[in-house]
Amino acid sequence: MNKDYVLIIPILFPILAGIVACFLGKMHLGQKGQRLYETVCLIVEVCLTFMCFTGNKALDIWKLTTDITISLKVDDLSRIFAGLTVIVWLLVGIYAFEYLEDDPKSNLFFGFYLITEGLIAALSFADNMITFYMFFEMMTLMSVPLVMHDGTHEAIMAGLKYLFYSIAGAFLTLFGIFMLIPYGVLGSFTAGGIMNMEALAGHDLRLMISAICMIIGLGTKAGMFPMHAWLPTAHPEAPAPASAVLSGVITKTGVLGIIRTVYFCIGSRLIAGTWVQNTWIVLSLITVIMGSMMAYREKQLKKRLAYSTVSQVSYIMFGLAVMNGTAFMGAVAHVVFHSLIKTTLFLMSGAVIHKTGHHLVSELKGTGKEMPITMWCYTIVSIALVGIPPLSGFVSKWYIATGALMSGEKPYSWIGPVALLISALLTAGYLLSISIQGFMPGADYDYEHLENKEPSAYMYIPMILMTIATIFLGIVPGGLTRIIDTIANTIF
Amino acid sequence: MNLMQGNILLLILILWPICTSIIGYILGTRSKTARDIWADAVCLSEFAVMAGLLIRAFGGGDTLYLDIDGVCGLGIHLMADGFRCVYGTVAALMWACAAVFSREYFTQYRNRNRFYMFFLMTFGATMGVFLSADLFTAFIFFEIMSFTSFVWVAHDETEEAMSAAYTYLAVAIIGGLVTLMGLFMLYDMLGTLTLSQIPSEIEKIRNTWPKPYITEYGGAITPSRLYLVGGLTAFGFAVKAGVWPMHIWLPKAHPVAPASSSALLSGILTKSGIFGIIAITCNMFAQDIPWGRTILILGAVTMFTGALLAMFSVNLKRTLACSSMSQIGFIMTGTGMYPILSEIAKEESVMAAHGTVLHMINHSLIKLVLFMAAGVIFMNIHKLDLNEIRGYGRKKPLLKICFAIGALSISGIPFTSGYVSKTLLHEAIALGKEASIISRGMGLTGLLSVIEWVFLISGGMTLSYMLKLFIAIFVEKNTDERLQEEYDSQRPYMRTESVLSIVIPAGIMLLMGLGPNMIMGRTATLCEGFWFAGSGTADQLVIHFYSWESISGALISITIGLFLYVFVIRGTYINEGRILSVFLAEHSLFIRSDNEGRNVYVNMWPKFLDLEELIYRPLLLKILPGILGFVSALISQIMDSFIVIMRRTIHRQKATRVDTGSMDDHLAVVTGRLLDRYIPKKDKTSYIPGLVMREEQGARTQRLISSSLSFGLILVSIGLIMVLIYTLAAT
Repeated sequence: MNKDYVLIIPILFPILAGIVACFLGKMHLGQKGQRLYETVCLIVEVCLTFMCFTGNKALDIWKLTTDITISLKVDDLSRIFAGLTVIVWLLVGIYAFEYLEDDPKSNLFFGFYLITEGLIAALSFADNMITFYMFFEMMTLMSVPLVMHDGTHEAIMAGLKYLFYSIAGAFLTLFGIFMLIPYGVLGSFTAGGIMNMEALAGHDLRLMISAICMIIGLGTKAGMFPMHAWLPTAHPEAPAPASAVLSGVITKTGVLGIIRTVYFCIGSRLIAGTWVQNTWIVLSLITVIMGSMMAYREKQLKKRLAYSTVSQVSYIMFGLAVMNGTAFMGAVAHVVFHSLIKTTLFLMSGAVIHKTGHHLVSELKGTGKEMPITMWCYTIVSIALVGIPPLSGFVSKWYIATGALMSGEKPYSWIGPVALLISALLTAGYLLSISIQGFMPGADYDYEHLENKEPSAYMYIPMILMTIATIFLGIVPGGLTRIIDTIANTIF
Repeated sequence: MNLMQGNILLLILILWPICTSIIGYILGTRSKTARDIWADAVCLSEFAVMAGLLIRAFGGGDTLYLDIDGVCGLGIHLMADGFRCVYGTVAALMWACAAVFSREYFTQYRNRNRFYMFFLMTFGATMGVFLSADLFTAFIFFEIMSFTSFVWVAHDETEEAMSAAYTYLAVAIIGGLVTLMGLFMLYDMLGTLTLSQIPSEIEKIRNTWPKPYITEYGGAITPSRLYLVGGLTAFGFAVKAGVWPMHIWLPKAHPVAPASSSALLSGILTKSGIFGIIAITCNMFAQDIPWGRTILILGAVTMFTGALLAMFSVNLKRTLACSSMSQIGFIMTGTGMYPILSEIAKEESVMAAHGTVLHMINHSLIKLVLFMAAGVIFMNIHKLDLNEIRGYGRKKPLLKICFAIGALSISGIPFTSGYVSKTLLHEAIALGKEASIISRGMGLTGLLSVIEWVFLISGGMTLSYMLKLFIAIFVEKNTDERLQEEYDSQRPYMRTESVLSIVIPAGIMLLMGLGPNMIMGRTATLCEGFWFAGSGTADQLVIHFYSWESISGALISITIGLFLYVFVIRGTYINEGRILSVFLAEHSLFIRSDNEGRNVYVNMWPKFLDLEELIYRPLLLKILPGILGFVSALISQIMDSFIVIMRRTIHRQKATRVDTGSMDDHLAVVTGRLLDRYIPKKDKTSYIPGLVMREEQGARTQRLISSSLSFGLILVSIGLIMVLIYTLAAT
């Protein structure tokens, strides 16, 4: 029995704080008080989470039956995911202060926001499939109110679509877990797989079907075709901070689930070279191209960014599906980079909506003159997302593509990188055109009536910080890649 | 672990302009003069350091290098050998001149801070390209350079400028991505991108042929794969260089960009593309005839097409842009000759190397002078059309002399620097032809004879279009006499610092031409190290530039050029032994009389042949996105449509439509009445309307949820059916 009870603190603290926050509105605390309370909670959560990172802490909370236990453990992967989550959460939380300043229900938003954070921290620390699944479902349920926050007909529909797609995906996953119980899928996550080889002998098909179910099921959260449709519906309806974390972090929980399933439960050896791997690769590549193509055609800014997420998260999927160390490194690095980049992009779209009320791409002409800081952040992270060196997106793309090429003579070894590059071209098309018309509104632009619409520091400081992180991690990715490399070495 | 090894100076050379660009921007918001001085100072200081490095290299100093591990994954590797020092110095000189010139040129422009910021950033990135020791580093800085220089092209923000800028950016991004694919494959193939390590790795691969070489990860490398990788990697660089058929951005971007950026775009940014092509050619295909042949053919087509377009154009800057394209073709020809000569006449390959390098340097300086001269005209009268600027240069001797030096040099007239480099290139082709008769079949000989003639004719065309420009601007009078008077009376037409920035490069060019072996020969020898990395050192090159053999080629070109100018452009014809209509052009395609009987230059620009409008734009903006978009939209809808179909069929659900009026609001009415009676509001209004609204809202939400819940249930049942099927199949 592992008894590092400290692990439960970063999970329980935000949940309790969130419940309190739901009831403490502006009327009780005043706007300043509310902001102070949220900031303190978010910062404390960052500290608590990082405190848990030292040593390899583990905790068995509860034994349901002899083989179903709820237990937590900290390893390098959970450090990356939990660390990323709490930092993004803190920055987006601060941003949300201004975005929701006129919202009478902001206490509810912050409440569910904190609860979701705790649950994501929990599922990053989860030590077996059941624990992961439990927190995964809880996280889904708790994040639905974030999507529905506006309370309009569209928002509720979008929230429901998100909910049911997620639940359908989760059921597929659960189905996979059930099927694999006899072969020891519920054991503690171990790099390289935990399946009982003797029991498994002769049940290949069963394993394959369960694996593909779990991949597609968890791929729902990650927006992988065919279960991607919730993303472009849910994002435009959710308030900008919610879309930011949905795209930036919550989609990545699906990725974490797949890493845990494929590399820590089933083991990549059992899947490599089978039809499961091929299907997975085909699905991810379809999503990469389809997502960016749809984004290219999309006129509404937030929907465009949502399709972009569909495409970009499948870069990660492709990197994972290739199943070698280099591609794995690129994929996990892209989790971090995409998270920072896409969060910034959604924050930018939120700032534009908040300040000007513009939703359509065509209305953004001259935005760069009105809100230069916001637009600069947008431009830099866009270039990073396209994958232009020396910014961060380039590094992850480099590893994913060279990793794919290392798989030798298989056709996807070159089709994959080509798909990534076509998608990069489309990404440039749908993101950079906004910056260009934002900064270069044309010679006949009315400079006389130019007014500064820059949002307050609450909004632009988080954006600037994430932009700096994007640049910095691109130029000096060494620290991150070394951690991922150690993970990759244990897996392969 | 030591992250950084070598001389930090190289990194400073790159970072100094990039970091100071931001300081310049901040300065610019306070004082415009301070910013201008700052930009000049940065460029000049950079030039001073680079010149110091160059002198050190001339003095036989060892090669500086710098390795920084881990940057962008693979790390950055820089070095400063002879060629890199030379080109770094040329770049710094050009930037310094352009910075000084910009000060006057931009007086009436908007967004100058932005321009200066990107001006300096591009400077740093370009230095990075020219100092890079591996393809990865080169690529990183190359991409930065492409993006930052985009802002130059778009600077005016007019419709044409934006269209040109989009073309520039699209071409740069596509080129960059294709090169990236090439680099992925190259890295996979060789395990390194360091230029100095590539030749030995390639040697290993070539030794196993015709059996494919098997890499560490099981990939097989056949010759075709090597060519594919080389071609992909070179693509982005070729695009930047403006090689046909990817030249489209050149004639579009230059006329709309500010003069100093045109000068740099054409003088140095295109050369960074050439730098990449040379690096690939020398290290991967040092003795590969098919590769050389391809480059040669592309070069010849570029050279000829560019010259032809330049003859057709009546826009001063567009003519110069097409001329750049044509000169890039000349440089490519030299690059292509190098592997061919290395294979069939090893000791002569140095000729191609020298010719290429010298023509690069010449062309940089020439275009600097010519574009800035065009800038002088534009900043004074804001026109570029030859008919409008005609006669502007009369009575402006300084401008006339500088332009003439550039024009003569680019046409390869003896005693100019251009003559030296063109002669070397011509010699390389001629030698290759001779050697190919002995060692190879007729195929190569035939090709080289054709190339030689294309070379000479293009050289002639260069002279003819430069004559057309020179005579139109500096000799002829404007058809509008009042305008001509106005032009003649414009004094002063440029400030001292602008004069200096044009005169200095023109003077350098003059000096270079006067002492071919002393300055140019030594410079070219210094650059050899870059070329012979792949094939050992070369013999000392001694050329008698003014021997009959050398001069005859130039004479042929000059004759062709004069002929073209007099008979084709001017339309002179001979009738019954008398020369008719000299400079009276009733029979020329290029000069016609307008309604009032004045001779005007006709815009012959072949719009219908514009590859961009004809092929690229429709293909990339309409056809491909149309098809792909349609397919994507279909795929994207699959799941949603499936669910909708299920709802309509199995679940028999009607479309979710919620009518507000149709609901019974009994509860709201009853409670409202009760509340009204027992706890009446202060203002005597009823509770009922508010409650009714709430109830309807609640009912609507509930209906939404229940209808969606059913669709969730369907998904569950599908899952259950799958379980069932599987269990049945498994048992």
